[in-house]
Amino acid sequence: MKRRLWSGLVGVVVALAVGALIMLAQGYKPLSTYVALFQFSLGGIGPFTTTLKNSVPLVLTGLSAAVAFASGPVNLGQPGQFVFGALAATLGGLYIRLPAVLEIPLLLLLAIAGGALWSSIAAFLRRAFEMSEFIVTLMLNMIADFFTAWVIAFPLMDRKAFSPMTPQIAKSGWIPDLGLLSSSTLVMLGAVVLVWFVFHRWRAGYEWRMTGQNSVFARLGGCDIHRNFLAVMLVTGALAGLAGGLVVMAGPHRFIKGLGANYAWDGIMIAIMANNSIVGTLVYGVFIAAIQTGALGMELITNVPSEIAQVLQAVLVLIIVVTREYTNVLLDRLLARRQAKERAA
Amino acid sequence: MNDLIALHNIVKVYPPNVLAVDDVSVSFCKGEIHSIVGENGAGKSTLMKLLYGLVPFDSGRIEFGGVNVRFRKPGDAIAMGIGMVHQEIVLIPQYSVWENVVLGAEPVRTLGRIDSRTAIDAVRSKIEEFQFNLDPLAIVDDISVAARQKVEILKLLFRNVSVLILDEPTAVLTPQEIPQLFAELKRLRDRGHTILFISHRLDEVLELSDRITIMRKGRKVATVEASETNKESLATMMVGRQVIFTSKRTPHQRGELVFEARHVDWERGDGLKLLDDVSFSVHAGEIVGIAGVEGNGQFELVNSIMGLEQPTRGSFLVKGKDITSLSILERRKLISFVPQDRGKMGASLSASILDNAIMTHHRLEKRFSRWHGLVLDYRKARDFVDMLKERFSVQMASRQSDFRSLSGGNQQKVILARELLLATPFFLMDQPTRGLDVGSIEYVHGEILAMREADRAVLLISADLEELFLVADRILVMHRGCIVADLMTEKTTIEEVGAYMLGGRASA
Amino acid sequence: MNVLIGLITGMISGATPILLAALGGTFTFYAGVFNIAMEGMMLMAAFFAVLGSFFFHSWVIGLAFGVLGSLTLALIFILFSVKLETDEFVTGIALNLFALGITTYFLRQIFKVKGVFTSKSIVPVPQLHIPFIEKIPFVGPVLSGRNLIVYIAVIATVFCYYLIFKTRFGLRLRAAGYNADSLDSSGVRTSRIRMQALLLCALFCGLGGAFLSLGYVTLFAENMTAGRGWISLAAIILVDGHPYGIAAISLLFGFFDGLGLFLQNYGVASQFTAMIPYIATLFALYVYAQRRREKKRKRV
Repeated sequence: MKRRLWSGLVGVVVALAVGALIMLAQGYKPLSTYVALFQFSLGGIGPFTTTLKNSVPLVLTGLSAAVAFASGPVNLGQPGQFVFGALAATLGGLYIRLPAVLEIPLLLLLAIAGGALWSSIAAFLRRAFEMSEFIVTLMLNMIADFFTAWVIAFPLMDRKAFSPMTPQIAKSGWIPDLGLLSSSTLVMLGAVVLVWFVFHRWRAGYEWRMTGQNSVFARLGGCDIHRNFLAVMLVTGALAGLAGGLVVMAGPHRFIKGLGANYAWDGIMIAIMANNSIVGTLVYGVFIAAIQTGALGMELITNVPSEIAQVLQAVLVLIIVVTREYTNVLLDRLLARRQAKERAA
Repeated sequence: MNDLIALHNIVKVYPPNVLAVDDVSVSFCKGEIHSIVGENGAGKSTLMKLLYGLVPFDSGRIEFGGVNVRFRKPGDAIAMGIGMVHQEIVLIPQYSVWENVVLGAEPVRTLGRIDSRTAIDAVRSKIEEFQFNLDPLAIVDDISVAARQKVEILKLLFRNVSVLILDEPTAVLTPQEIPQLFAELKRLRDRGHTILFISHRLDEVLELSDRITIMRKGRKVATVEASETNKESLATMMVGRQVIFTSKRTPHQRGELVFEARHVDWERGDGLKLLDDVSFSVHAGEIVGIAGVEGNGQFELVNSIMGLEQPTRGSFLVKGKDITSLSILERRKLISFVPQDRGKMGASLSASILDNAIMTHHRLEKRFSRWHGLVLDYRKARDFVDMLKERFSVQMASRQSDFRSLSGGNQQKVILARELLLATPFFLMDQPTRGLDVGSIEYVHGEILAMREADRAVLLISADLEELFLVADRILVMHRGCIVADLMTEKTTIEEVGAYMLGGRASA
Repeated sequence: MNVLIGLITGMISGATPILLAALGGTFTFYAGVFNIAMEGMMLMAAFFAVLGSFFFHSWVIGLAFGVLGSLTLALIFILFSVKLETDEFVTGIALNLFALGITTYFLRQIFKVKGVFTSKSIVPVPQLHIPFIEKIPFVGPVLSGRNLIVYIAVIATVFCYYLIFKTRFGLRLRAAGYNADSLDSSGVRTSRIRMQALLLCALFCGLGGAFLSLGYVTLFAENMTAGRGWISLAAIILVDGHPYGIAAISLLFGFFDGLGLFLQNYGVASQFTAMIPYIATLFALYVYAQRRREKKRKRV
């Protein structure tokens, strides 16, 4: 645990240093830039709640990736499952009108179902034809992207709009704010807690973890590998779908072009940084959200393009992962050298 | 006798604090066969890896031909004429014999194109020079294990090494193939080569070597002339105390029929039968051993019994119940299983000791789950592990430590305990003492005999004939997928079993 | 007739970037490196090729810059994966994201635009007109007049086959993938071979990416590789790395790419035609999986 904190901290510091170098090379002032960055994301209740709201899709897609990777299936289909969840929620919000108390849970369920449906395709192809879910989910991402692009440009298009997008969903489906805090944050936190319990305290989660670490061992121990694979694909698809639904319901309240942005790939990256830990995903998810949120504000003040956030993120992943693996190796080597010296003396 | 290689005060520490080689000084002569013996973990393999440059050492120096040397990678050692053949054969199965032999020293024409004609001829002439009986064009995947070992040796001779280090080479050979290897090694010695032979099999070592160095717990105990010592004194030096070579098995009446295999066939897609009409039985209170060189169907047998694979024909029964088409979980209600490879099949090294200990119990025992099996009761799980630790004296830092932090012996204890505590009538064990030190091996044998006292039925698959003779009541021999012999331990000999292992029929 | 020729030339154009990236990936595949950074390498190449061509008014410099861009990514991959032994999957994904981020960032910073950069000053890689061949009826217009890089790709395919199966380097390369321990104990450092494989991969991905922005079209658009790196990865897996097999599969994908553009003229929505290559990949994967099942049943 302590080592994980250390490698995380060192990683963050080094990544920020690299970002500073890039900024210096462009003629910007790194210190004031970083100050602006963190001011706009964490300096105050307003920025902080915004950061939390922005972290929702990141944390949820991150959870999806983390649970999948730690349990065996290589589910890289979060981008596609995300947009399908968003589409499902949008469809429900356009055609079903209920009071908010029913509408919101319904749309969330639709989002979950949409994501799970899309991931179930990959699960089916794997089960029936032994097609690697690694490639299938990647291809399904592109297909989902194009499909939803078509949907919002033709059947569901808002004729009054200038660019492809659907009309807004029913007002009862809009996720309410509690003061400055968006309740989508609450949904996310609820999901994190639930996933943690399932993964670490439920029998299913135990079997998923063991299968992910050593599938032969799990099989010999009596775990039903196929049923677990399907369950994990459905659950992780559902999580990504939920993220999509929440973005629609708490954000633009309609499916617009570029809705998914880079959320899902960022989520995958967050899971990697967190080494598939659920709590770690939450922490890193909020941190990355802070960088992204702050970057937009930072651009207003210092003219540094907000795209630098993407560069920082990628550097961050690499550095954190390397530090994590290297700190262990280095520490062990130091200990060994000390012992050898004691022996020779 | 002139010293060719001299090691002075070598130390090697494996992080964080394992002293693998502790201030060892030893020297080897030109034109001798020098064996290095010790039990598992004594440091003999490590010492040779240090010499060879596979692993760096922390202090000390090495002299070769009177000059200080330090090999940073195997290439350096080979260049100086030292070659090592490892325990696990590292050839490229997809390549042919000649490609494997010349890899790294390929003859080339213009533009880096390989000159295959020259290469094949050169390899063939080396084969003839040393009378190895190999076909340079054969694909390595298709040839026998003994032949692969020869290819490894040939590879080194191709590079004109004068020193050959062999790490447990007889582990993969049948008793009948060993004399051929020894003859080849003696021929090489007579031509002036130096052979360093790592082993823990004392009979072989005494037969083959000129001198023997004994290692224990990373230190050198002594170097002796083979002609001036015997098995008992070697063993005592290896272990540090008197070692008893006789069996602790007492007569025990066997009970009812517990396990049966009936006419089991396992056919590969191209028709080759990896299991051929296998039929045998195991009774309560009986230990049945299966001997055989690896690769004669044992793996398929174990997998079929456990449910990882389905046999083409035939059936398995436990207590009269046909398990052949049951799920693995259903079978686990009746079968306990200790697999061949702890890390690959018996545990998850990165999971905690607790997580490893409750596997299978988590499904079969109601007390471990709440809410109709949805949630695991971790308090009961913790109690379970505590009890396991007490009863089986497992040395562990904490329940939550990684499984891999345990020593090999303790890992096997946990796995064995976990399986023992499943109240099953039938116990299947595959090479349960592989890679363990003498103390742990004694412990495991004790537990197996205790199972016999408790009237459980035990099927023990082992490549170690000595172990089978110590522990088993009956010994079956597998050869090419068939059971070729079913012998009462009291009424047979190691030689007879060895003959069956190789040829399927008794030798004169 | 012109329609057919158009279809075929479209197929060749669509196949070329995939072929080049897959050829590059073949080296790392055989060497046993789990390399999924081809997408990122191509994207870097596409951007830097435009950069070089724009500022130096020369497609030669554009090509060189493109390859340098890819090489940069490969060097980072080598640093992390080979020297520091970081997980290759993680490194690949991180590098893909890094390439996306940095090309988008520089697009904004250097060219001051978002989305697409196009300009008359970008010098594209020229087409090659072969004097005698172009007069041959039917095949002439197809075989001659293609972009220079297309011809390079064809030569590269044969070159790669020779390199991998006939040379000393190739023997060691495949050994690194089949059994790295064996290669190490033969005195050849596997890490060095893997490094060389990554550099070769960067070279070919560099050409492929440069083709995208200086041949296929003459512009740079955010994320313009659009998953081609993933398709080339699929191609490698489907044919187990063999260069000639890769050429065949790339042509197949190129065909579907061209078919998509073709169908747009007939009113099929562009979004559906864009899906075609990816659906085709799924289908190819299905065939591959079935064949593997058959093989398993026979051998096991």
